[in-house]
Amino acid sequence: MSTHHANPLDHAEIRQGTVLRYIVAFIISALCMGAAMLAVQLKLPFLHYAALVVALTLIALLSQAALFFGLDISRAQIWKSVSLVLTVPLFIISVGLTVWAFSSLYERTMLPPSGVTQPGMSAPAVPGMGPMGAPSQPTLLQ
Amino acid sequence: MHVDLQGPWSPLLGRLTLGAIPYTNPILIGTFIFAATIALIVVGTVLYFRKLPYLWREWLTTVDHKKIGVMYILVGLVMLFRGFIDGVMMRTQQVLADGPHSAGYLGAAHGYLPPYHFDQVYSAHGTIMLIFAVTPILAGLGNIIVPLQIGARDMAFPYLNAVSLWLTVAGAALVMVSLFVGDFSNAAWVGLMPLAELPYNPGVGVDYWMWALQIASIGTTFNAINIIVTIVKMRAPGMGWFRLPVFTWTMLSTNIIGLTAFPVLTVALALLGADRYLGTHFFTAGLGGNFMLYIDLFWIWGHPEVYFLMLPAFGVFSEVIPTFSEKPLFGYITMVAATFAIAGIGWSVWAHHFFTMGLAPNSIAFFSAATMLVGIPTGVKAFNWLFTMYRGRLTITTPMLWSITGIVLLLVGGLTGMMLSAPAIDYTVHNSVFVVAHFHCMVLAISAGIFSAVVYWWPKVFGFKLDERNGLAFYWAFVIGSVLVFVPMFGLGLAGETRRLDYLYDPQWMPLLIAEEVGIGFYFLSVLFFLRMLYVSLRDRVPAKGDAWETGRTLEWMTHTPVPFYNFAVTPQVHSRDELAWRRANGLEEAKPDRYVPIHMPSNTGVPVIIGLLAAAFGFGLIWRIWWLSGVSLLAIMVLVIIRSFNKNEGYILTAAEIEAMENKIETASVIAEQPKRLPLSEVEAH
Repeated sequence: MSTHHANPLDHAEIRQGTVLRYIVAFIISALCMGAAMLAVQLKLPFLHYAALVVALTLIALLSQAALFFGLDISRAQIWKSVSLVLTVPLFIISVGLTVWAFSSLYERTMLPPSGVTQPGMSAPAVPGMGPMGAPSQPTLLQ
Repeated sequence: MHVDLQGPWSPLLGRLTLGAIPYTNPILIGTFIFAATIALIVVGTVLYFRKLPYLWREWLTTVDHKKIGVMYILVGLVMLFRGFIDGVMMRTQQVLADGPHSAGYLGAAHGYLPPYHFDQVYSAHGTIMLIFAVTPILAGLGNIIVPLQIGARDMAFPYLNAVSLWLTVAGAALVMVSLFVGDFSNAAWVGLMPLAELPYNPGVGVDYWMWALQIASIGTTFNAINIIVTIVKMRAPGMGWFRLPVFTWTMLSTNIIGLTAFPVLTVALALLGADRYLGTHFFTAGLGGNFMLYIDLFWIWGHPEVYFLMLPAFGVFSEVIPTFSEKPLFGYITMVAATFAIAGIGWSVWAHHFFTMGLAPNSIAFFSAATMLVGIPTGVKAFNWLFTMYRGRLTITTPMLWSITGIVLLLVGGLTGMMLSAPAIDYTVHNSVFVVAHFHCMVLAISAGIFSAVVYWWPKVFGFKLDERNGLAFYWAFVIGSVLVFVPMFGLGLAGETRRLDYLYDPQWMPLLIAEEVGIGFYFLSVLFFLRMLYVSLRDRVPAKGDAWETGRTLEWMTHTPVPFYNFAVTPQVHSRDELAWRRANGLEEAKPDRYVPIHMPSNTGVPVIIGLLAAAFGFGLIWRIWWLSGVSLLAIMVLVIIRSFNKNEGYILTAAEIEAMENKIETASVIAEQPKRLPLSEVEAH
């Protein structure tokens, strides 16, 4: 606070984007959305579909982090980049352990799908798989 | 309307009708008279002494981290008292309602509280104690101490700091309003599902709980960002990472938890809000919803929240014990590593809160082992504190007593926690008061840390020490109360008493229930001694030295007592981990700067307090479904934030001459001193 900068944009920590980077990020994000829409409509095999979703997510995340938010490893931005990277293990722990615990929890606590089918409950999105990856069983809708 | 609401609704007042005012409930009428009397005394005193302009200029609009910290702690203490009264009510109800022949009063079949009221009391107790008492007090301590310990002028974002405070106050205000307008949640502090869903809980109680928590947790997230940035970016020259005081390390780790975990709570509550307001089915059984997902999300936040509260208390012990042992902290590096290990492992243990929900044995085994792992770094810390005291020159003051008691409580809470981490034991005592006694030992350890910190750092902020004699009386009454309440509670848990009971079926539990009630009496006594301690200390105001305890080791004891509003006249150069101890050893303790340089300070602003008021109105509107009120409040907040973003708020400059004058007459620069109006930079430049 010992220095006086009237214009916040003089600070490298605050001036994170440029018009060009915003336009490029916008185009990449729009392309990712378009590709995601196509992937849904093409009815790809599950593994291909999953791989495509992961790839598109990574591209979208990277373009947003690097181009929209201007994150890099420069002195001004390194802490923000570190913060973003450090959320990855937490994301993996919380989502991964939840999926793992719930996959067996469903089998142990929920009635088989045939017993709980209700009006408005749709068939599993992935052929051959029930909710949360449980093997599908015949339901009243099928 | 996308959901079916019970009762009337009007566009102007939403669900609010005269029937929402509980004027027929004698307990609430008494509470209202008590609260109104206190409010009248406070407002009357402010008006009588014409302190309203001072209050507005120096406190309500302040961006000074110390004043914000003091207000955080004040709010926390008020809520602590409210939560304590809830505890008194619960204990009293249970001792009156034990056995089929127990009498009923005030319309209750047994005891004096009907089940619906009792359920609200324990829900409010948990929510208030964790979110609106302990969290603000710790946030306040962090606010006051962290910048001082790292030699900073203020927090990184002073304006955001004030916004965080007032959002917390808005949440607390909603909880308090629920006493007199409508109900509070009866679905426990965790939000029991599907009880908290609209079809099973059609009143406004859950909405009060949900929006109060939501608004306050946004404030807590902002505060976490602020403290992290302050520690990362604003350390004094020479203060490398491994010269950081341990309290600051714990505040860093705790706020990393806060920043990462609180958004999960925000999401869980937002999804519950979608269920209750938009008719979605995230956590109901219909249309593929599942309430177990809520429990999972809640505890993904809830367990790290435990460490969010615990770690700052560890930081306090790590400051107080070396000061009163006149030795450096034993095992500094392992202490820091243990802090981060606890924070890290704390992220992968949350499912131990719902072992009995039906998790598979392999999942339970994983979470059980992870829970047991937390004991290792915690044990490292306990041994480090003991080794710090070993062969030290011990001075047993009240802060030291509180810290030692905190370690004992940690041991009791930690060992019973290890018992509960074993699934076989957890299945046996799940939802019993054994669990309640266990986590109260942990929260009492946190309270011990808080009281230790308050007594320890009080002179630094206000310039005089708290009265030791009444402090000791407060300490002993609190400790005796804790033993009498929670030792019997462990026994009752093992005897089979489940938690959250408004009526107890076994008359044989009576002796232990009476012991708990006597313990509550001692707690009541401790409150009186606490108030007396404040009164006597304020009356006598014996001035304290800069290094108030004369054995302080860290940077905050190097500046004046009370701390001037600019913290340090000259930014200190750090040479050692325990800078003050190093300077004392090298004869530099009394060294004065040879010249002063101007200091750039942030200007006060009324925007945060107005945002807080509008946030409370926004929440109140949503609770009662007064859509226009919520819409207008939200719009006003947006407009205010936009207007504020055009205000450059360049602050003002304290000249070297002003600083020198204040350094020579320090009471003119203290936290409670009235400051002359200072022109912002833009106006100075215009002249």
